Amino acid sequence: MNLRPSLASTAFARRDASDKLRGRTCFTVDQAYQGHLQAYLLRADVASGEILRLNVSAARQMPGVRAIVTAADAPYQFGIGVADQRLFATGRVRYKGEPLVAIAADTLEQAKAAAGAVEIDIRPLPAVIDMAAALTEGAPLVHPDWDGHEVVLEARGARRGGNLAWESLVRRGDVDAAFARPDVTIVESSFAVGRQIHMQLEPRSAIASYIDGRLHLVASTQAPWTVKNVTARALGLPASRVRVTAPAVGGGFGAKYGCTIEPYAAALAMACGKSVAIVPSRAEEMLSCPCRENADIQIRSAVTADGHIVGREAVVLMDCGAYGGEQIYLTTMTAHTLGSAYRLGSVRLVSRAVYTNTAPNGAFRACNGVYNIFALESHTDEICQAIGMDSFEFRRRNVLGDGDLGSTGQVFQGDVLGPMLDKMALLRAKDDSPLSGKSSADARHEGWLRGRATTVGTWFVFVGPSAATVNLNPDGSATLVTAGVEIGQGTMMQSLPQIVAAELGIAPAEVVVHQADTDAVGFDVGVGGGRTTVSLGAAAVAACAEIRQKVTDLASRLMQVPSSKLILTQGRVERQGHPGSGMTLASLAQEALQITGPISGNGSFTRPGVAALEGCTSGHFLEAVDIPVFAVHDCEVAVDPATGHVEVLRYHVVQDVGYALNPSAIEGQIQGGVVQGLGYALHEEVTFTSDGAICQNGFGSYRVPLAQDVIPVVIELHEGAPSIGPWGTKGAGEVPILNVGATIACAVSQAAGLRVQQLPLTPPHVLAILQGRKLPLPPDHVQAWPARPGFIPHTTKSAKVADNLKGKDRS
Amino acid sequence: MRGKLHINGEWHSFHADPATPLHRVLREQIGLTGAKDVCGEGFCGACLVEVEGEPVAACLLPVALAECTQIVTIEGLYHDPVGRRVMAALEAEDAVQCGMCFPGMVMTLTHLLKTDPTTDREKVKHALVGNICRCTGYERIVSTACRAAKAMAEADVREETA
Repeated sequence: MNLRPSLASTAFARRDASDKLRGRTCFTVDQAYQGHLQAYLLRADVASGEILRLNVSAARQMPGVRAIVTAADAPYQFGIGVADQRLFATGRVRYKGEPLVAIAADTLEQAKAAAGAVEIDIRPLPAVIDMAAALTEGAPLVHPDWDGHEVVLEARGARRGGNLAWESLVRRGDVDAAFARPDVTIVESSFAVGRQIHMQLEPRSAIASYIDGRLHLVASTQAPWTVKNVTARALGLPASRVRVTAPAVGGGFGAKYGCTIEPYAAALAMACGKSVAIVPSRAEEMLSCPCRENADIQIRSAVTADGHIVGREAVVLMDCGAYGGEQIYLTTMTAHTLGSAYRLGSVRLVSRAVYTNTAPNGAFRACNGVYNIFALESHTDEICQAIGMDSFEFRRRNVLGDGDLGSTGQVFQGDVLGPMLDKMALLRAKDDSPLSGKSSADARHEGWLRGRATTVGTWFVFVGPSAATVNLNPDGSATLVTAGVEIGQGTMMQSLPQIVAAELGIAPAEVVVHQADTDAVGFDVGVGGGRTTVSLGAAAVAACAEIRQKVTDLASRLMQVPSSKLILTQGRVERQGHPGSGMTLASLAQEALQITGPISGNGSFTRPGVAALEGCTSGHFLEAVDIPVFAVHDCEVAVDPATGHVEVLRYHVVQDVGYALNPSAIEGQIQGGVVQGLGYALHEEVTFTSDGAICQNGFGSYRVPLAQDVIPVVIELHEGAPSIGPWGTKGAGEVPILNVGATIACAVSQAAGLRVQQLPLTPPHVLAILQGRKLPLPPDHVQAWPARPGFIPHTTKSAKVADNLKGKDRS
Repeated sequence: MRGKLHINGEWHSFHADPATPLHRVLREQIGLTGAKDVCGEGFCGACLVEVEGEPVAACLLPVALAECTQIVTIEGLYHDPVGRRVMAALEAEDAVQCGMCFPGMVMTLTHLLKTDPTTDREKVKHALVGNICRCTGYERIVSTACRAAKAMAEADVREETA
C-alpha cells in the first residue's frame, strides 16, 4: 500500500461550509417549488379501524388536482425484516396518521382542499397503544394477518406471532446455575424510556419525476439505494426503473435512513406524468416520525462478592409501532449493546419487537444502544451499591479486554475500555478545579445536590456493502463516485477526499466528490451506523489501488523504471527516494489517453465477518460485530431539590476512534452527539394521546437543547484500538450519543441517592424521584424470572422462522 | 394581492395572500431559499431575515407588512462587512455541519456583533436563544462569535491608532 497516514491532511476543512453559510446550498426542500406539483397525504384519524368506504371521485374534480393515488394503486407489501407494510392503509388502519390517500395539485393549498373532499368511512376498532396492552392475553392484534406476511430477512431460530413482531435470543453458558450459586448477590433492575424525535432541521422530502419510463427521485435521504429498492418494491416496479439522487441533506440522525415518504411522490409522478414534490410540515413530520423507539428493559445479574458477574439475563421490549421496520432488525443489537462492555460468565438476553397501534418507529443515532447502555450502566451502579464496591473500580475490573468473550461468544481483540477508563481518570483529575471560576453559577447551585458518574459503552460500526469508482482525470485531479450522502457529518467533504488524496498522492482539494446517484455507481447500504468512512473509505482505497497499479505500470513503461520503485506523491509519479523525478500525474493521465485509455479504478467492500460461538444466538441478523467501538463518558451534575431541575456542570468523553483522520471533524461530532444525548436524557419527551397520536407537534412542545442548555465537552480521542477500517479508522459520528442518557442518569442517581429508572429526567420526573412519588412512565411489564424465551403471549400458533436457515446480512 | 418587496437592494414583485408568511414568498416566488422553512412558528430562527436592520423571523411576518421595508436576506448579508466576517469566522472554526441553521445563526451573530459585541460566552448564548441547531452542540458557534468580537475590537483599535 502506498498510503501513509502521515500523508493525510488531518485538518482539511469542509468545502461546503461557505455556501451553507451564505444560504446558497440547495437542499431538496429548496428545489421543491421550482415548477413541481405539490403533494399532500390524507392521514387516518383513528388508531385502529376498518375502512368501510373511501371515495376520491369528488376530490379528483377539485381545482388544481392532477393526480390521486390510493391503496388500489400500490398493493405491494414491503418491510425490513418482515413485509408487513403497504404505502396506504389497506382495509385496515393501524395507527393514527397512517396515509390513506396521496394527492398532487398545483399548490399545496389545493391538494389540502382536495383532501377535504375525500369521502371516508372508518369503523373504529379496539387499539393497543402501549406494549403492555399489546402483550396482554387476548389483546386485539395489530396484524391479525401476521402469519401471512412474507419474512424478508431470515434469521435462524427467530420467533414471531401476534403482536410480537420478532424475538431474538442470546444464550451462552448456564445462566440458571449461576443464579442458583450460594455465593452470589442477585441484583434486579427495571427501566423504561420514551421515544426520541430526530428534529433534523430539513424535513424528509422528495421530488419525483417520471421520464422515459423511469422514475427519478431527488430525495433528502441517507440511503439512496434503500429508497430505490423500497420505492420499486412498493410500486411493483423493477428496481432498475428507479434512479435516486441525493443533494446536500439538512440533517438526518436516522430519520432518513429508511424509505418513508419518497414512494408517494413517485406514485403521483407516475400517475400524472408531471414532477411532484412532497415536503411535510413540521407537525406532519412529527406525527409520522420514525422515532427512536420507546423501550422497557428488565435486567438482573448474579455477582460474587469480589465483583465477578457470573450470570446475567435481560428482557428488552422495543416498540415497533404499527409496522416492524427497523425494530425487527434492532432486536439483534441488544446482544452488542446491553450484552457487551462487560465480561459475563453466562448470559441470556431476550429482545422483543412489539407491534402497537402507534406511528412506526425507525432508526436514530446509536439505535437500541442509548437506552440499553442507560439500563446497563444504571444496573451496574446498582450492583456496586449492592456489593459495596466502588463503581469505577468495578468497571475497571470487569470491562471487556483482549481475548474476552462478548455475549454471543465473539472474541474481543485488544485492551481498549480499560486503558480508556484510565485516561478518563486522568482527565477527571486534571479538570477537578473548581468549576471554571463561575462564582455566580456556584452561588446559584448552593443547596443543590451534586452527583458525578463515569460510564462505559460498547457500540459498533455497521459495516456492510459499499462500492466506489475513482476516475483519474487528465488534469491530475480525481473524481470519487459513490452513493454516499453528505448529511452534515462531513464524511463526503472531509474524510473521503482525504483518503483518496493520500492514496493517490494528491491534495484533498484535487478530489472531486460526486453527489450520490444510484445510476452512477454500485450498491451502498447508506449513511448510518457510523459506516461511511469505514465502508466507503475502504471501497475508495480499493479503487485507488487499481489506479495506482495502472499508473505505475504505465509510468514504468514510459520512464523505464520498475513499477515497484515508483510512488505517487505530491501530484507526481516518481522514483522512490528521488523527489522531483518522474512526471506529474496530470501528464501521465494525458499520456494514458492515447496508450491505455482513461485511467479509473473500481473498489468494493463488505464486512469480512467475525465468528460468534455456535448456538449462542437465535433470531439474529448479526451474530458478531466486525468493528466494536468503545466510549467512556463522565459528567458532573447539580440537581435543584426544590424544582428537580438538572444542570450539567462538566462533561468528559474518551472515545475510541481507531485512527483520528480529522480530529476537528470528530470533535464536532462528539460535541453535537453529546448535546443530542443531553436532550434525550433531560427534556426531549414524547407523550401520547389516548388514541395513540404523538402529542408533540413542533419545537414549542418538543424541547431540543438550546445554546443555553449546553456546555463544552472535554474530549480525548483514544487511538490505536484494532479496526479493519482504512488506516485503522472507525466510525465516529454515531457513538457520541451512546452513553449520555446513562451518564446523566447515573450522576442524577448519585446526587439524589435514589434509583433512576426512566428517561427523560424532566424536572417533574426528577422531583417525583426526590419525593418518592409514582413515576410517570412505569415499565410496561413485570418480568417473571428466569426470562422465558420463545414465549408468544397470545397466540397458540408460535411461528419459528426458518429454523435451518443461516442468518443473512441485511442488504 | 400583488405587491413589491425591496430585498438586498433590489425590487421584487410577488402575488400572494397578504397573510402569507414572508419566508414562503421569498422561497417559493422570489427564489431566495437561504431563509429556511423549518418550524414555521418562530421557534428555530432558521428563517431569520433583516427587516429595517433588525433580525426578524420571516415565518411570523405577513408579507403585506414587509412591503415598503428594507429587507436583507442571508444572500444579501454576504455584502455586509460584518456578515461576511461572521461567515468567514464560522468557516475557519469548522463550525458548520448540515448547514440548515447557519443562515439564521449568521443573521443573529451579525446583529450581535453590530449592536453589542461581546466575548462573554453566556451573553452570546443568550443572544442565540432563538436559533436552534440540531447538529453541532452550539459551542463552536459561541467560540466563533467571541473570537470575531475580539478580532473586531482589535481591528477597531488598530484603525483608531492608525
